[in-house]
Amino acid sequence: MSLKQQTIAILVGVLALAVLPLTANTYWLRYSILILQYTGLALSWNIISGYAGYVSFGHVAFFGLGGYTGALLMLKLQTPWPLALLAGGVICAAFAWPLGRILLRLKGPYFAISMMGLAQVLRVIASAWQSFTGGGQGVSLPPENNLHFVYWGMLLVAAGMLYLTLRIDRSRFGLQLISIKEDEPAAEVMGVDTVSAKVRAFVISAVAPGMIGALYAWSLGYIDPASAFRGHITLNMISMTILGGAGTVWGPVLGGLTLSVISEELWARFPELYLSAFGGIVALSAMFMPRGIIAFWRQRQAKIRQHKGVTASA
Amino acid sequence: MTQVLVNGLLLGGLYALAAAGLNLIFGVMRVINMAHGEFLMLGAYVTFYSFSLLGLSPLVSLSLSMLITFGLGWLLMRFVIRRVIGAPELMSILVTYGLAVLIANLGLFFFEGVFRSVPAYSGSIPLMGLSVSKSRGIAFLAAIAISTGTYLFLKHTTLGKAIRATAQHAEVAVACGIDVERVRFFTFALGAALAGAAGSLLITFLSVTPSIGGVFILRAFAICVVGGLGSFMGALGGGLILGVFESLVAFGTNTQIAEAVAYFLLIMVLLVRPQGLLGVKE
Repeated sequence: MSLKQQTIAILVGVLALAVLPLTANTYWLRYSILILQYTGLALSWNIISGYAGYVSFGHVAFFGLGGYTGALLMLKLQTPWPLALLAGGVICAAFAWPLGRILLRLKGPYFAISMMGLAQVLRVIASAWQSFTGGGQGVSLPPENNLHFVYWGMLLVAAGMLYLTLRIDRSRFGLQLISIKEDEPAAEVMGVDTVSAKVRAFVISAVAPGMIGALYAWSLGYIDPASAFRGHITLNMISMTILGGAGTVWGPVLGGLTLSVISEELWARFPELYLSAFGGIVALSAMFMPRGIIAFWRQRQAKIRQHKGVTASA
Repeated sequence: MTQVLVNGLLLGGLYALAAAGLNLIFGVMRVINMAHGEFLMLGAYVTFYSFSLLGLSPLVSLSLSMLITFGLGWLLMRFVIRRVIGAPELMSILVTYGLAVLIANLGLFFFEGVFRSVPAYSGSIPLMGLSVSKSRGIAFLAAIAISTGTYLFLKHTTLGKAIRATAQHAEVAVACGIDVERVRFFTFALGAALAGAAGSLLITFLSVTPSIGGVFILRAFAICVVGGLGSFMGALGGGLILGVFESLVAFGTNTQIAEAVAYFLLIMVLLVRPQGLLGVKE
């Protein structure tokens, strides 16, 4: 599909999905919000980790930071939710820029683990800074949220991220990111400003999680260190993107949709097994289909066809 | 104050033991084993169940837990890790990360997410005006004994020399007739067993849940980076440094903030002196 066709597809999809809250009951609404939330997060993770190849094991840091930003603004300054949502994104971008300049100097695995540590440090700060964040008790918001607006907010953020990915995928910037993933020194020799490209990708991948975190805090009416910086949110981003196809436009959407449905079925009944299964998915996908399920399936089809061709001609 | 230093040093001995395995594995096959903390967790639970079900003393079940984690390490190598050696580091880190999540949550499922401890040695011993907790002291001595044993093994036995040769240069090692595949299997299993031993000792003075691996991997990694990646002795030094640092910060502020010490140490060293405080530049 051409860029124009895909853009139209996204627009039609958003319009079709936008009417859903008018008919759905609360259960389906919460379910759809969850799917949109994880798809948006996976799309964000995909930019820095899928395209640029800098795997982040602590992207929940931005989700939590945005969540706290939004919640504290709404509680202390009575900020209206759309502004709190924007602030969540802005703060994350402002935080990610200097952070990226420091951490993205680290190569592959070092970056991965430094992000994991960052999420832990932010959690420690959120629980230790009693006077500002409410410590381990967390922040309770006045219960005046509206699930319809949460849904539309999530839809906008996720669709915006999808459109942005589509644009990046077809751009010079996208090619620069891929060249960094393939061979960073070579990219540099070819004249790519790798530092600037990496930092931009990092900032882009931090904004949506911040906004989603703020929406999440608003929809729950509550945020605490344990729920804001839960490791399994990072796990979801990674497993969804890897399964669907890291470094592709539609991979995180496919993975987000599939795994959200699976997790909803498993989560209520066997929470530990559900996380185990996601861990297994990450390990198996990375081992056997590092380019995701679509590429894997296409490759198999091509092989089968080739095989048939060989036997037919023989 | 001296008391704090001593406690930090005792804790550091265990950190060192756990991180040494991680560093050994990285040195030999350039794989960062994100599931390393899970071996520590499994070792701790072997000791817990041996104590609570069979009444075995932790020093007895220590060998049992090393055997079991050695075997599990071997199996993991056979079915998973073998395939990612030589692949881009990012692939191996994703695979072992997935495994870590898998094992930790199976642990939660089978062992339950409650704090467990093995109160086998209680009380403390007065030593030169300080009081040293008996369990910490025993654990530290055992950790030092195992580390020294491993060091001597690496230094003086044929297999140990083969491991060091492979770490230095795998291709040349092959050319010298070393069965590198077997060396890698053994190293991975040995690294797992060292983590298992650390877990067994840790649970005698700290409460443990199945999620401890995730908390621990960051520390272990910080230790390896501080001591120089891939260096066995470096991990020992790094472990002691982190243990002391953490205890001092916990003493000066609170234990929550001490959790962040490992992270800041990690970032600082990575940015300022990437070869590690004790490492040599390549």
